[in-house]
Amino acid sequence: MQQGFAKSQIDRLGERLRSGEVSEADLLLLDQYRRSFQGPYEAVVGVVRTRMDLQPTGRPAKSTSAIRDKLQRESIRLSQMQDIAGCRLVVADVHVQDAVVDVLRMSLNVGSIVDRRLKPSHGYRSVHLVAMHDGRPIEIQIRTRLQHVWAELSEKAADVIDPSIKYGGGPEAIRSLLDQASVAVMSQEKLTTMHADVQQRLAAVHAQRGQAEHDESELAELRSELIEVGQAVAQGYEALEAVLLRAMATMSDWEWEE
Amino acid sequence: MLFLIEYERQVGKVRSMKSFPESAVNEAQDARLRLELNLRRCGIDHEVVLLEAADESALYLTHARYFKSFDTLATGTSS
Repeated sequence: MQQGFAKSQIDRLGERLRSGEVSEADLLLLDQYRRSFQGPYEAVVGVVRTRMDLQPTGRPAKSTSAIRDKLQRESIRLSQMQDIAGCRLVVADVHVQDAVVDVLRMSLNVGSIVDRRLKPSHGYRSVHLVAMHDGRPIEIQIRTRLQHVWAELSEKAADVIDPSIKYGGGPEAIRSLLDQASVAVMSQEKLTTMHADVQQRLAAVHAQRGQAEHDESELAELRSELIEVGQAVAQGYEALEAVLLRAMATMSDWEWEE
Repeated sequence: MLFLIEYERQVGKVRSMKSFPESAVNEAQDARLRLELNLRRCGIDHEVVLLEAADESALYLTHARYFKSFDTLATGTSS
């Protein structure tokens, strides 16, 4: 029993949604079921807002069409769906993303974490965390700004060009551009990590100054490495922007032609 | 603030949007259900979604796909 709902009742509703034969009574039941996530949703989003001082955009209830599409796409049951309610955070880069995940892990009863940076889903990169509250799962999506731009582009293409684009299908030209952009995002994340690493090493050497003999040549080497990686980061952004602009132009043309 | 959005996926455009104060969550949920039922009765398959954000600009940032065209979706990537 899921707080007033029998699991079998919810799963039968899911089967009707999957088949596309939905009555008004079904929509009312789905509405009641989604509303039962409101309390847990408010509690979890409240923690994100107050403890982390972040402003997520919340989605108190997944849309009927999104639920239907997911049921039709996957073999999942409605009662198993982890993202009926949730929120999204867009952060600056992978370091902030890691820090946010760590704090959330400590602040909430986390049921699962899916790191799509390690295993991207058809190019989609992000971290999804499911927090449990009063027996209800609440999904928190944490994306970097670049991962978010990619995701929005992919979702928009899925909306207006072909819904299967998000899941590895659709026109080859679009698919290929999205793949290239996803790889460029990944490269940029690696460069950002390298840049932060060199900065940390440089700070550590600076901190040691005056306490012990330090090697001036090491300092010079690190400074030069920092400049080099910084240039690579800037070039990476340019390359990524070029891929994204090409993807946008291609998608835009495609939209008009179709 | 809560935002009730009616989105036509196939053309990628928002067809209607209504905002509610955060305190009116039940009213917003009722409006979502009413809109969904009305669209169903008219045989219109639009996505109806309720989102909560600090303000419209926060909403446009995290759910740009609803509001932006391909031409503007990835602008400012390197900034």
